[in-house]
Amino acid sequence: MAQPATETEFTLDTAAELAAEESGAVIRGRSPWYLAWRRLRRNFVAFAFLGLFVLIVVACILAPLYAHHVAHSGPSNEHVLDTITVHGTKVDVVSKGGVLGGKLVASTPVGPQWFAAGGKYVLGADQLGRDIAVRLLYGGRTSLFVGIVSSLICVVAATILALLAGFYGGWLDFVITRFFDLFYAFPVILLGIALGAALAINGIHLGPIRANSGNIMIPTLVISYVLIPYVGRPLRGQVLSLRQKEFIEAAVAQGAGPLRIMFTELLPNVASSILVFFTLIVANNIVLEAALSFLGAGVQPPTPSWGTLISDGQGLIVTRPWFAIMPGLAIVLTVLALNVFGDGLRDALDPRAKVKIEH
Amino acid sequence: MTRSQRWTWLLSVGALIAGFALLGAACGGKSKSASNKPSSSGGGKNQPFANFRIAYDTGTDYLDPGLSYTVEGWSIMWNVYLPLLGYKHVNGPDGATIVPYLAKAMPKISSDGKTYTLTLRKGLKYSDGTPVKASDFRATIERDYKVDSPGVGFFSNVVGADAFSKTKKGHITGITTNDKTGQITIKLTQPQGDFQNILATEFAALLPPATPAKDQSPHPAPATGPYMIQSYKANKLAVVVRNPQWKSNKATGISEVPNGNPDKMTIDILGDPGVALTRTLKGQDDYDFQQPPPDRLGTLQSKYSNQTKVYTPANTYYFFMNNRVKPFDDVRVRQAVNYAINRQALVRVYGGLANPTENVLPPTYPQYKKHNLYPYNLAKAKKLIAAAGVKGMSITVWNHDRGQDPKATEYLTSVLNSLGFKAKDKIINSSVYWTTIGNQTTKAQIGFADWFQDYPHPLDWFDVLLNGTRITPTHNNNYSNFDDKAVNAKIASLKKQTNLSSSVNAQWAALDKQAMQQAAWAPFINRQFVDTFNSDIDLGCYVNHVLYQFDFATICHK
Repeated sequence: MAQPATETEFTLDTAAELAAEESGAVIRGRSPWYLAWRRLRRNFVAFAFLGLFVLIVVACILAPLYAHHVAHSGPSNEHVLDTITVHGTKVDVVSKGGVLGGKLVASTPVGPQWFAAGGKYVLGADQLGRDIAVRLLYGGRTSLFVGIVSSLICVVAATILALLAGFYGGWLDFVITRFFDLFYAFPVILLGIALGAALAINGIHLGPIRANSGNIMIPTLVISYVLIPYVGRPLRGQVLSLRQKEFIEAAVAQGAGPLRIMFTELLPNVASSILVFFTLIVANNIVLEAALSFLGAGVQPPTPSWGTLISDGQGLIVTRPWFAIMPGLAIVLTVLALNVFGDGLRDALDPRAKVKIEH
Repeated sequence: MTRSQRWTWLLSVGALIAGFALLGAACGGKSKSASNKPSSSGGGKNQPFANFRIAYDTGTDYLDPGLSYTVEGWSIMWNVYLPLLGYKHVNGPDGATIVPYLAKAMPKISSDGKTYTLTLRKGLKYSDGTPVKASDFRATIERDYKVDSPGVGFFSNVVGADAFSKTKKGHITGITTNDKTGQITIKLTQPQGDFQNILATEFAALLPPATPAKDQSPHPAPATGPYMIQSYKANKLAVVVRNPQWKSNKATGISEVPNGNPDKMTIDILGDPGVALTRTLKGQDDYDFQQPPPDRLGTLQSKYSNQTKVYTPANTYYFFMNNRVKPFDDVRVRQAVNYAINRQALVRVYGGLANPTENVLPPTYPQYKKHNLYPYNLAKAKKLIAAAGVKGMSITVWNHDRGQDPKATEYLTSVLNSLGFKAKDKIINSSVYWTTIGNQTTKAQIGFADWFQDYPHPLDWFDVLLNGTRITPTHNNNYSNFDDKAVNAKIASLKKQTNLSSSVNAQWAALDKQAMQQAAWAPFINRQFVDTFNSDIDLGCYVNHVLYQFDFATICHK
């Protein structure tokens, strides 16, 4: 026997709910997007994490301002032999080391100064005397760029392939599905490392697509490429299902061409899934970029990214742990924010949907 | 807030707290000190003991004496594969003394310096029981050519070697042997001052003639030394055990090769220097071959200073600049790079364990004479760049991905950008780095290089690294493609000097300056290293050889 609902966990916006909200007045027609927005705006947690994500993005966008006006150093400017003044005392940015007085002494960069050095080296320096706070913000720009652009490329390519496979079926579906299966067979990280490492030497020279080694588009394209099947396959399933619906038959009967059916009938019906996929995959791709860069197959130095910063910090994990912790924390917060917001968006757009990235 | 929202919120906050707790535990938690359990029974000064465990790095290229060209490979193999001649197993400069190993005595050199005659000891056997014959020497050198050994350049002065290198058929006519008498005669096209050193390299270590002409690392070839390689799994493990034939080999009179104390050497190949150090300090390994991460030097000094040894092997770290590629085909640009790099800064990049240098030769050489051609002067460097008219040019800076070295090129990239170039790094895997930059088709503009001597002679630096007549299309060691006629002629002239007298040494020192006036490289440091042991090891037995560095075989337990 069905239990009466004591509390609404999230609303499906039934006619009764809408009627209650509109004080028994005649229920006006509502678009699915309006209903989704209605559900989303009641999800404060999702909005809080969206705010956190926006905050991170804005901080990263403002990195040049911080670098020029506060830290007075660019992301790749070395300051190995420079000194800073801390509470009136001159301190080496990277201390002198070696065998001094018969003792082994390591050259160590300064740790977090917070605000003791007039805004310089707030989070300390790396082995080249570069300001970690500046590199963290610039690294965020790189990581977010790779994450967002690779997700865009991935989602667009996956959607086109899913529409083609799901709509036409037959041999085209067979070819596209086998392509998906082929990529599914490889662990994402291994495929990413293999492609990233190979392209890091020679770059990409494929007709109009040209990127020299060290170009940030290389990890971006690698990440987008390896994840296409993970978005394309579930979307293809949805398109296959929608293909059998009456409204598609009606469109065919009215003489609509394949392109029109795909882009005006099928695409709007999978748009909510695509949107949710996009938010979730951005988070996923930020982590993947960090992993590839950490392993040397992603963003190439001296360009900072959160992954390369963790890799750089590894060598100073004992004396300067903040160096590795801070970019790690930035990744955790960004990914958490995107995932929670993505979950909220999924609940709002289609409460029954089970869209998730699995690999 | 609905129930599901509350759960999401609670779970997110919970996950964050759990993450921080784990992080705190990882960073701040005191690890329970593992007891340094003895790795083996036995020990004592120069007494055998069961097993010496080494935390190695991933730099081993091969464990085939015809192919290996790394410190990692040679450090293992010099107690395994013996050449006719070799070096004393002792500390300090005396380690550079060449002594007979498989040869009965030092070679007889003809008055024109072009013929070397040696005699093989009688009764020698490989570890599989096969007798060692004089003709094995010729077969070994010919095998070097057949496997495209990086060491074949050392033998190019042997009569008939060049012809053999083209056909790889027949024999090298300049090497004649007599298996009955054990006599080996080597004829050279011209006198060569370092030829005894070359006979002492691993490339000349005798192998059975039936050894296949392909990499034998996975199935190690039979040995002549006190040890043999029992097994090798690349990037995982190598096991070295006593050679059952060594006692009888030693009885032939090989007095300069010690028996060795460990019955077995287990070489754990580890990718992470931090892990290697921790394993050694906790007693899971006896010796850390890798360099400790700079930020653990403080702990090493405060807690384990009696378990470490600091040493300076003969080495030079430098940036090569390809003379065949713009903008480094212009001497002004190469000089500008030399003026613009601050060598003191690079010392700190290497954790302080280094000394700045502008010389080709390291200071451990008697031919070393410090010069000061390029004091740090960024303004002068910028003027030279402006005069050369190359400002704004794109430059790719090459390096491998191991240790502190990538930081050196990140520094260089920053310097090049400050000179007005558009420089970027290209970091590739260390296993393919040297062959990539040594291939002319790569056209590597500038990048990192280092050199640790193959043998203690200036020719190993100038002839191998800076002789324009030895530039090759692949496996090229002259990464700068430096080809200066005057320098080439001087190398050829000094090559004929068999005696390194003080006047000859002065000429080598002058050649060093001459090459650096042309800014062949941008040398920056001579690096110091740290050997770390666990507390069970008696460092009273520690031998650091001028060429092979720490001698694993002579170490002993407390």
